[in-house]
Amino acid sequence: MLTYIVRRLIAAVLILLGASFIVYLLTAVSGDPLMDLRASNSPNREALIQQRTDLLSLDVPPVLRYFEWLGGAASCLVPFAGTCDLGFSVTGIEVTTQLSRAMGQTIQLVTAATVLAILIGISLGIITALRQYSGLDYGVTFMAFLFFSLPVFWVAVLLKEYGAIGFNDFLQDPVIPLVALMIVGLVSAFIWFLVSNGSLKRKFIAAAIGFVVAAGILWLLDITRWFLQPGIGLIVILIGGVGIAYGMTLLTAGLKNRKALYSALITVGIGAIAYFPVQPLLDQATPLMIFLLAVATVLVGLAVGYFMGGYDRRQSMNAAALTAFLVAFLILLDRFMQSWPAYVDNGRIRGRPIATIGSSTPNIDGDFWIISLDTFTHLLLPTVALMLISLAGYSRYSRASMLEIMNQDYIRTARAKGLGERTVVMRHAFRNALIPLATLIAFDIGGLIGGAIITEQVFAFSGMGQLFVQALSRVDPNPVMGVFLITGILALVFNLVADLVYSVLDPRVRVKA
Amino acid sequence: MRFARTSKVVGVAAVAALALGACAGPDTGGEDTDSSDPAQATGGTVTVAETNSFTSFNQNSATGNVDINGKVSTATQSGFNYIDNSPEIVPNEDFGTYEVLSEDPLTIEYRVNEGVTWSDGDPIDGGDLLLAWAVFSGHFNDEDPEAETGTTYFDYAGDTSGVGLSGLPVMGEDGRSMTLEYSEPFADWESAYDIDLPAHVVATGGGLADEQALIDLIMSAPEGDPENPEERPELSAVGDFWNTAFDTTSLPTDPSLFLSSGPYVVQDMVAEQSMTLVKNESYTWGPEPMVDEITIRFIGAAPAQVQALQNGEVDVIAPQASADTLASTEGIEGITIEQANDLSFDHLDLHQGGVFEDENVRRAFLLTVPTQAILESTILPLVPDAVVRDSQIFDVGTPGYEAAITVNGSEEYNDVNIDMATELLEGATPEVRIMYNADNPNRVDAYTLIAESATQAGFTVVDGGLPATEWGAALSNSGEAHDASIFGWISSGVGVTGVPQLYGCGSASNFGQWCDEEAQAAMDELIVTTDEARQDELSTIVDRRLFETAFGLPLFQGPGFVAVADRVQGVEFNPTQTGVFWNVWEWSVTE
Repeated sequence: MLTYIVRRLIAAVLILLGASFIVYLLTAVSGDPLMDLRASNSPNREALIQQRTDLLSLDVPPVLRYFEWLGGAASCLVPFAGTCDLGFSVTGIEVTTQLSRAMGQTIQLVTAATVLAILIGISLGIITALRQYSGLDYGVTFMAFLFFSLPVFWVAVLLKEYGAIGFNDFLQDPVIPLVALMIVGLVSAFIWFLVSNGSLKRKFIAAAIGFVVAAGILWLLDITRWFLQPGIGLIVILIGGVGIAYGMTLLTAGLKNRKALYSALITVGIGAIAYFPVQPLLDQATPLMIFLLAVATVLVGLAVGYFMGGYDRRQSMNAAALTAFLVAFLILLDRFMQSWPAYVDNGRIRGRPIATIGSSTPNIDGDFWIISLDTFTHLLLPTVALMLISLAGYSRYSRASMLEIMNQDYIRTARAKGLGERTVVMRHAFRNALIPLATLIAFDIGGLIGGAIITEQVFAFSGMGQLFVQALSRVDPNPVMGVFLITGILALVFNLVADLVYSVLDPRVRVKA
Repeated sequence: MRFARTSKVVGVAAVAALALGACAGPDTGGEDTDSSDPAQATGGTVTVAETNSFTSFNQNSATGNVDINGKVSTATQSGFNYIDNSPEIVPNEDFGTYEVLSEDPLTIEYRVNEGVTWSDGDPIDGGDLLLAWAVFSGHFNDEDPEAETGTTYFDYAGDTSGVGLSGLPVMGEDGRSMTLEYSEPFADWESAYDIDLPAHVVATGGGLADEQALIDLIMSAPEGDPENPEERPELSAVGDFWNTAFDTTSLPTDPSLFLSSGPYVVQDMVAEQSMTLVKNESYTWGPEPMVDEITIRFIGAAPAQVQALQNGEVDVIAPQASADTLASTEGIEGITIEQANDLSFDHLDLHQGGVFEDENVRRAFLLTVPTQAILESTILPLVPDAVVRDSQIFDVGTPGYEAAITVNGSEEYNDVNIDMATELLEGATPEVRIMYNADNPNRVDAYTLIAESATQAGFTVVDGGLPATEWGAALSNSGEAHDASIFGWISSGVGVTGVPQLYGCGSASNFGQWCDEEAQAAMDELIVTTDEARQDELSTIVDRRLFETAFGLPLFQGPGFVAVADRVQGVEFNPTQTGVFWNVWEWSVTE
């Protein structure tokens, strides 16, 4: 195993050297770095050309320049020496500075989208696999491919037009016209129709319920001016919590396991009791506190499950912990909504909360909630744009993988020995279906840092993608190489990680040392 | 046992509560911060979108010479003069005065007003005047690029040949004045010299004791001689500091690196995202700005700027003008758009040799150029009152332009005259290869229209369009690779030293290799003429000769526009590099 890893790492270094050489040369010959100066009518054009030639060592052939760069980059290998030298950009900024800033921006932009795409994509894939060739399956497949084939720059511009500008205009006078209510209701009815199971009659009843629920809720929100003063409130948290408790128990233990169900319901009760006492604490929230509270919530859930005991403690603990986490999330959401009016009225927001550019409103000040809401309103649209497009991949892969598993002999065996459908799906099929996805997810996390060039451009994020593209258009090799180095290393590392994880997850695959 | 377990749980919970309390944020008084701040903030903040991101507080250095750095400098630095949107040089007598003591030899005395200081309280005085001179004159440089010896101490992005004509300045008794004496008259003296960076910061940053040490160093160091370069470590250290220390994308921890002498001072920077300017408290001279705070947001893509304006995130945008951008901006309610020409202009240059050796062939070719049609297909949709540019030298709308076009002979080419062109060709069918940037739609349009029209007169036009990455390098191959080229120049707006750069015999940017004795004599006089009226006369001679010898044709001036939200007043388009920031103190906000 160890020799295998060492061998792979040595190969990775060689690949990196070769690839960086090629990328450097390609960048160097991709254009003319003196382009803008050649067409300049400045009286000191020659001097300017000379200055830039000196700055970028343009009088040295690219092959030799590569080795100069490599010399500087090699010093990054000395740990903690602070001697890392990836050179300067044309504008005299250190590439290491640019990289660390751009990486931060990119991670901020892409993380939520990737996590959500993985979660939602896999869930959709599993569900559609279980209901193969149903209306739901076709519907989800259609939407996934539709989003997949949409050009991101177009989706992004549309999202800005309607999701930001349109929504902000709506907030100026939040009255939902009847036509819009009807349309939302019909869309909801269609979704309920697809999701519901059984005879045509049942499907139509579901569609009717869907219509009434969606249009009704929207109408209620409209007349209560909810969009200006949003909130959830204890009652809704309680009702939602009970729903969550049933759902989580269903997934983790099955409703027959009464101990698990009661554990989940007890955590909902604890959450409701804690709702008021926790508010003063939340008013002084910091990110660390929210994290600790989340940990504490999960621990409370686990404790409740543990003390409820039963023949299988684990199931109760899982159900209670998941429920506790989600109920706490609802309380958090409620607290965010309490700060929403203050955020919208903020002098720098001026009643138009959803942003189209950047990652934050410059100079906004306020407490944790205001700052977090600001980040949220900025990240909302890019996250949706990125997520819609990467959803297709995950849902298709997990659907295919799940279908394959469901037709395996051991699933039939499991059913034959009398296991319930929930156990078969969640315990026997689902876990194994995830194994092939490990490779995909590892790659995607590796590629995450590379940036989303077009999305970054449309939403004016200055991440890795923009750093790369802008440097390339200026024929400025140092930032290009910096980006390449980071993405190259990550790709190679995660490639290795994917292989190792695979052998851990799937006992049939063994690394031959 | 049971009891013990319960007490443990209680204990853990108590500890957890304490831990959470400890990590709670400082009590900001809850709602107080939300209610008090907006009132103040809405009093006057303007957000401006800019295409490039800020990279340096030294806009004069080779690396810092990016438009946005100059724009920030416009709002944060005062000087002896500034360029308005005419464009003309406007002296800023609130800051200081300059006086021509003698025309021959050209001698100018610069005096900073008393009480004018940097934002750290240090007065702007002799040291600052002298440092700016040392940088702009290149007095100490002894680099010989051919032999690769010597040093360029200050990597100044501008031209040092003008101010370089002046000798070591004489410092005034009052400690805040300086007299420059030029060895020969220098036409652009007024725009070529102004205050640069704070000398006390550069002095200490470069390892000197104080500003006085820098004055002594500059006054005592001998002039650089490329023949005999010498090592000057002290000056090198100062130069290195000047060249590199001000380059940054985030706010420096050392406030002396972003001192202000203008109406605003930088308060905050988020790298490649935004920059915040607030009123400079110590700015007591000059017009007082009305807006409390200016935020600059860096948005690269023009459509993103338009949508940000529509969403109220920015108040002012001035993106690259294109038909799409303008059309989408016009659809926004609650804004005002100002359209105007910028200072770039497209032109058709003929190589004065090869097929165009014969003046009649050149004239015939130019007679076929449909300048009006080109304007209609490119600029008119963007600037409704745009006109064909009829002068190679003067910018449309300037007083010199109006005078020049009546006498420079441009009217001969106002209308396409195929008959006369055919006559001049006498049945010949010369083959003309036209080079242009094939990735620029305006140039492609111009080429297509010219080619179509020239073919009618008997020319055989060959498409020599090159991709964006190649055409610039091909300009200097004029005559070998192509016979004519369509490309653009960017006029500086003020000053005349650019004229011989483009049209002087054998000059580096004279790609058409045009050379005319009468014009050359006029240009030789032009660069040593300080009288503006005489400058215009001489420029008009060059302009007239360019048309008389059928050198080529100017086509049109590029479009520019600025869109401003109605809540902001006083923002005006400025075609020069300073953009909208030139009159930042006139901006105001109404809610």
